[in-house]
Formats: sequence, C-alpha cells, structure tokens
Amino acid sequence: MGWPRKDTYLALCPKSGENGGGVRRVDKACSGTSESDNMSDATVMLAAVEAGDSKAAEQLLVLVYDELRRLAASKLALEAPGQTLQPTALVHEAWLRLVGDQAPSFNNREHFFRASAEAMRRILIDRARRKHTKRHGGGYQRIDLESFDLAAPAVDDQLLAVNEALEKLALEHPVQAELVKLRYFAGLTNEEVSEVMGISVSTAKNYWTFSRAWLLNEMEGHDA
Amino acid sequence: MKGDPAQELVVFTEALKVPVQERAAFLEGACAGDENLRHKVETLLSAHDRLGDFLEEPPSGASVE
Repeated sequence: MGWPRKDTYLALCPKSGENGGGVRRVDKACSGTSESDNMSDATVMLAAVEAGDSKAAEQLLVLVYDELRRLAASKLALEAPGQTLQPTALVHEAWLRLVGDQAPSFNNREHFFRASAEAMRRILIDRARRKHTKRHGGGYQRIDLESFDLAAPAVDDQLLAVNEALEKLALEHPVQAELVKLRYFAGLTNEEVSEVMGISVSTAKNYWTFSRAWLLNEMEGHDA
Repeated sequence: MKGDPAQELVVFTEALKVPVQERAAFLEGACAGDENLRHKVETLLSAHDRLGDFLEEPPSGASVE
C-alpha cells in the first residue's frame, strides 16, 4: 500500500503550523479547521467506515496518521534528549483528541484502533527506512519535519526486519498479522486486542504466540 | 506454501499444551501422515523454544537525539 500524498502534504504544512489545535485532512490541506470540526470529522468518518465506505477508511487512516505524527513531534519537543515515546500512549491520546467523549459505538472503536496500528506502523517504518538510508550513504538532503528519531540502528533494523516478515505472514495468516500490528505497533494488550478483533482473550494469546514463533522463524531464514 | 494455514495454527497451538515428551506422538496423530504440515509445525515449535521476549517490547525506540 502506497502513501503517495504524504510528502506533498508535509510540504504544505510547515512545522510551525503543527501546534495549532486542528487536525487537517489532506483534502483541506492547511486550511485550519476548528477543533469541533475535527472531532465530528473523526466520528463521521468512523461511522462511514462502519457502514463499509472504503474511501472513509482511507481518510480515517490519513487523519489518524497525521494526529499521531503531530502528537509524537509535540511530545518530543518537550522531552529531554534520550526520552522515548510509547506508541500505546500516543494511540490512546489520539483517540481522546479525535473522538473524545462522543461515545461512538464499540465497532467504531475497532476501526480507530485498526487505523492507528497501521498509521503507527507506517510512521515507525518510514523513519527506520530513512535512517537506514542515511547510514548507508544515501546522501540526499531532506527537510525532516519530525523532531524525533529512532534511538539506535539496531532498533531500526529490527523494525524493518519485523515489518518485512509481517508482510509475509499476512499472505498466509492475515488475521494473525492484523493482531501483530495491533499488539506490536499500536501497543494494545491482549485484552484490548480481543475486544477490537472480537475474539476471546485466550484466542488472542494463542494467535500472538503463533505469530511470534512464525515471525522469528521467518527472520532467522528457516522455511516454515 | 501448500496445505491449509489454519491447520498449522491449530496443530501448533494444541501441541504447545501437550508435555514435551508426548509431542512427537501427538504430532504423529494430529498430522495424520501430512509430512508437510508436520514439518511446518515442528519448525514453529522449535522457533517457539527460542522466543525469549521477542516482540514483547513495543518498538518504542522513537526518541529525541
């Protein structure tokens, strides 16, 4: 799945504008919608996704992606060097900011967490790739609008390897791959995952154990 | 890539509940002559023994440089 609009979008939205209260949708660019508009955007989108609107699912992903990036950047701007971010905390904060107490249905919550897991995966993978390229002599200059960076090369490499193996897992075991995304990239617990996916906690645990073994085997280069 | 991926998951999950010394006999019965399935599950069980805390820590490596 591509992410073609991001660079264009980032170019339109300088960092100085990112601390405004609003979350901007791509189609609105930087027009600066108000907080209440944004909240209803999110709830309307969630309802549309629930109704099976695939375009709304894409828009929701963009909205959540942007909110998570913005939260990460503003959090880290306040932290001392060496501080780390918890994806789980970011996802839960994004939920409060975008949906808050508008009490959407349970199913809407599911769509939000699925979108968050995918958005978080893209954010982390994009950054790891960029750093990997820099380390390996890809000397192109790029205006980096994010103020956070992944800590160590080992973290980047592990992330990229996990992501690659996860794409293979998704071909054979799509449900289990989705669970890995929710647990690993969005940081949800087994209990939260079971709610979001509508499975029992023990099934969630079984899938998680299976997926970890499958991914480790894949990353070690054995055939399974 | 042959076989039913769901079978792999079911047999693996059930095998983990069986004491280690009884696993070979369990797999013999559960795979019912499907060597491909048995090989896959045995490979996964062996990976499972090496898991440690693999993936248990979230990739929270996003930090200020």
